[in-house]
Amino acid sequence: MDSSIIRQLRKIAGKETVLDRPEELMLYEYDAGVDKHRPGAVVFAQTTQQVSQIMRLASEHKIPVVPRGAGTGLSGGAIARREAIVLSLARMNKILEIDIPNQRAVVQPGVVNLELSNATAKYGYYYAPDPSSQKACTIGGNVAENSGGPHTLALGVTVNHVTGLEVVLPDGKIIDLGGKAQDSTGLDLTGFFVGSEGTMGVVTKITVKLTKLPEHVTTLLGIYNTVEDAANTVVAITQSGVTPAALEMLDGWMVRCVEANVHAGYPEDAAAVLLIELEGMREAVEEQAEAVSAVCMQQKAREVRRARDEKQRQLLWLGRKTAFGAVGRVSPSYYTQDGVIPRTKVPYTLAEIERISKKYGLIIGNVFHAGDGNLHPLILFDSRDPKQTENSRKAAKEIMACCLSFGGSITGEHGVGMEKMGLMTAMFTEDDLQVMVQLRNAFNPESILNPQKVIPDLRYCREITGPLPKAKVEPAAGMPV
Amino acid sequence: MSTVTSPASVERELAGIVGEAHVTHTDFEINGVVPMAAVSPGSPEEAAAVLRLANERGLVVAAAGGLTKQQIGGVPERIDILLSTTRMNKVEEYDPGDLTIAVQAGIPFAEMQRQLGEHQQWVPCDAAHLEHATIGGLLATGAAGPLKSTFGHMRDFCIGVQFVTADGKVAKGGGRVVKNVAGYDLMKLMTSSYGSLAVITRANFKVFPRPRQTRTFVCSFGSLDEALEFRTRLFKSPLTPMCMEILSPRAPEYLGDAGPVHDPDHYAPDKPVSLPALEWQIALRAAGSDIVLARYARELGTAVTRTLDGAEEEKFWKHVSHFEQSVLSRHRNAMVIYTHLAIQGVGPALQALERTAPDYNLIPAAVGRAATGNLVLAFMPLSVDPPSAMQYANCVSAFRGMLPPGSSAEVAQCPTEAKLHFDVWGTTPTNVEMMRAVKRAIDPKNILNRGRFIV
Repeated sequence: MDSSIIRQLRKIAGKETVLDRPEELMLYEYDAGVDKHRPGAVVFAQTTQQVSQIMRLASEHKIPVVPRGAGTGLSGGAIARREAIVLSLARMNKILEIDIPNQRAVVQPGVVNLELSNATAKYGYYYAPDPSSQKACTIGGNVAENSGGPHTLALGVTVNHVTGLEVVLPDGKIIDLGGKAQDSTGLDLTGFFVGSEGTMGVVTKITVKLTKLPEHVTTLLGIYNTVEDAANTVVAITQSGVTPAALEMLDGWMVRCVEANVHAGYPEDAAAVLLIELEGMREAVEEQAEAVSAVCMQQKAREVRRARDEKQRQLLWLGRKTAFGAVGRVSPSYYTQDGVIPRTKVPYTLAEIERISKKYGLIIGNVFHAGDGNLHPLILFDSRDPKQTENSRKAAKEIMACCLSFGGSITGEHGVGMEKMGLMTAMFTEDDLQVMVQLRNAFNPESILNPQKVIPDLRYCREITGPLPKAKVEPAAGMPV
Repeated sequence: MSTVTSPASVERELAGIVGEAHVTHTDFEINGVVPMAAVSPGSPEEAAAVLRLANERGLVVAAAGGLTKQQIGGVPERIDILLSTTRMNKVEEYDPGDLTIAVQAGIPFAEMQRQLGEHQQWVPCDAAHLEHATIGGLLATGAAGPLKSTFGHMRDFCIGVQFVTADGKVAKGGGRVVKNVAGYDLMKLMTSSYGSLAVITRANFKVFPRPRQTRTFVCSFGSLDEALEFRTRLFKSPLTPMCMEILSPRAPEYLGDAGPVHDPDHYAPDKPVSLPALEWQIALRAAGSDIVLARYARELGTAVTRTLDGAEEEKFWKHVSHFEQSVLSRHRNAMVIYTHLAIQGVGPALQALERTAPDYNLIPAAVGRAATGNLVLAFMPLSVDPPSAMQYANCVSAFRGMLPPGSSAEVAQCPTEAKLHFDVWGTTPTNVEMMRAVKRAIDPKNILNRGRFIV
């Protein structure tokens, strides 16, 4: 990067807050996904004013800027292409206000997700969206990705919990969208902005809803001899009239992997387990627990266990939340998918994933948000073996084709980023993408912010992607909307 | 209208797109303005062709569904084409197991709800006029009722949307699955955009299991402060009611089937009201088994003055949803304001209503979501004086001035003449320049609802 730019960045943000040596930049060339690119510089902003000045400088010199939180993203959204500036918001990490009477908190973007819940628990409130990386990921990053998590089944994802944003536009202008009210007169730009993956503006302040801690929580573990029975249970529960707070599934391979790592208490000989959480008023939870247990048994569960106490409950969740890490222990590399399918198609899709796993001779573990139909197949491979690497990508493509054939989505919560950009044309027409680009240009007209992310360059995307492999089943009725 | 285009030639061209039977003259007025022609396309592609034509000729288009909310907004200079979506009125796909439904924009909400009801499912929306109001219109206006307290509104259920842009592109956002972050969230952008960005042609929703049993507890208080204190206790309690509606002392007069109208221009009750009404009410609707509902009764204790269930309960909530219509059907010069407030803004806003209305010879009444700050405030003219346009303008300005910072309040209904004296949309915490930039990006010629919305 041009040394005069580095000098000016240091002038704005302070001497110690700009990195430009190759050994420093190496740490910022990846996120938790698969892509890698080295940025030209990394700058840590500490105030909104600094963010504004940095954006103005970058705009004047037409230098791309990539906003970054904790770097826990899985789709390459926070990775800089070419000679870009990575703008880290990690040091803007103050909780500015906890406003219990209004059930809101105002935070800087670098506040770690779980820290907010920890800070508000003493008032009987918490911040509901809980991505598995919540011990590390930042709320600013959650806003960019519209992050989900196991407990978003009943309470909704990030966008349902954000009411206000302060945003710095690429030209350095600072604007407000929404505030503490649930909504406001005019266009819902707050809702539109959430999930824009850093391509519309840099978030410098966030107003979020705080949710009352439930009176009672209970967690059930349904244990199954076949994956199919577990998958059928998911459909049966959603039809039974009960909406669990969370409904997660791990297949047998994942169960053993997790047990070897943390001893969460999952039976190692199970073909699949369901982790079902119910919360609310004590009486309601008790009734639902009985109803759900009955549904599990009707769907041929071998056994339904219920966490005896909070310690056991936490242990059950520890298994789920550390599942990705557990896989990291047994495989040099893995490729996480994020496809979404209609809930009734879970049984069929899992069978299809099993077939794809056999076809390529790769282990595919499944741990996912079953209640939402949001799959996370983890394709294990050894990145030192080019054949395996290639096969992992082919397998991923086939899984995605299967999801899309049911009218599903390529990403439920990890974002498009750079990783899935090429797949966008499988979901959206050129007109759809054109409209999205027009709207993005209202915020980010010169594509200074996070260029070449989310929306593929319409002229070239087909050649880059190539046709998707044909799925075995025909789409139910095309893909309207 | 450009000089080269005569109305007759435009109508011929429109007929060429949608068929002669679907181009008609209407006497429906939007704030006193009669559209030149009403057009009902039978498909998104036909709608796209209509918009392309309008865009080329610079014709102003207003999208329409059940015509239940068209009077909201500024007075348009002109409307050339009223584009009705009512021929696009089918359920396209519904699989109860997936808890999702795909519908065309012109379907009346009640028709969709009826089909969902066959499987004990619903979209939890209880806005007014659901028999006529279409999905497209409900989305475009962000309409909601008391259920918004817990379930949110259309923005929170809509998982996919298809729309036609001013330049005639058929485009979409989202999809058919309940969790999806591929591409920008156009569902949020289209909801509450009042037809100013595009014409909505299809929408997909996530649906919910319908509660099997509910009960309503009406609690009464001697003052607004007492009612709000009760609300604070509720927030701290383990109770999770699905509706938490606050009713002002005079609201109950409008929660019933309208009696004979004595004086449509003014507040004139059927019977003389002998005592000034003082009682504020909070109505809670809870779902659950007998045991759960018994817990509510226990925890709420003596605050409860009335318990409703079954048909009586349904009727009560339907009346709350139709409060605004009940006011307007009795007083055609009434003014109605929708508020967007922080939770603690509810008290100040209701105080502002009670204080400003009498200053301008208006009678106040209100219902609203005590937990989300979405209130419906009515100001009815007294018969002492015919209300002047400036009276409304000054009242709105005084009322808005008393709201806490960060609030917004749009005037949803008032006499058309009064609208010329103030901005019905008012200020909002969201950057309006940015809203306009978004509008320009997608409708550069400003043909969609020109002059009616905030952008």
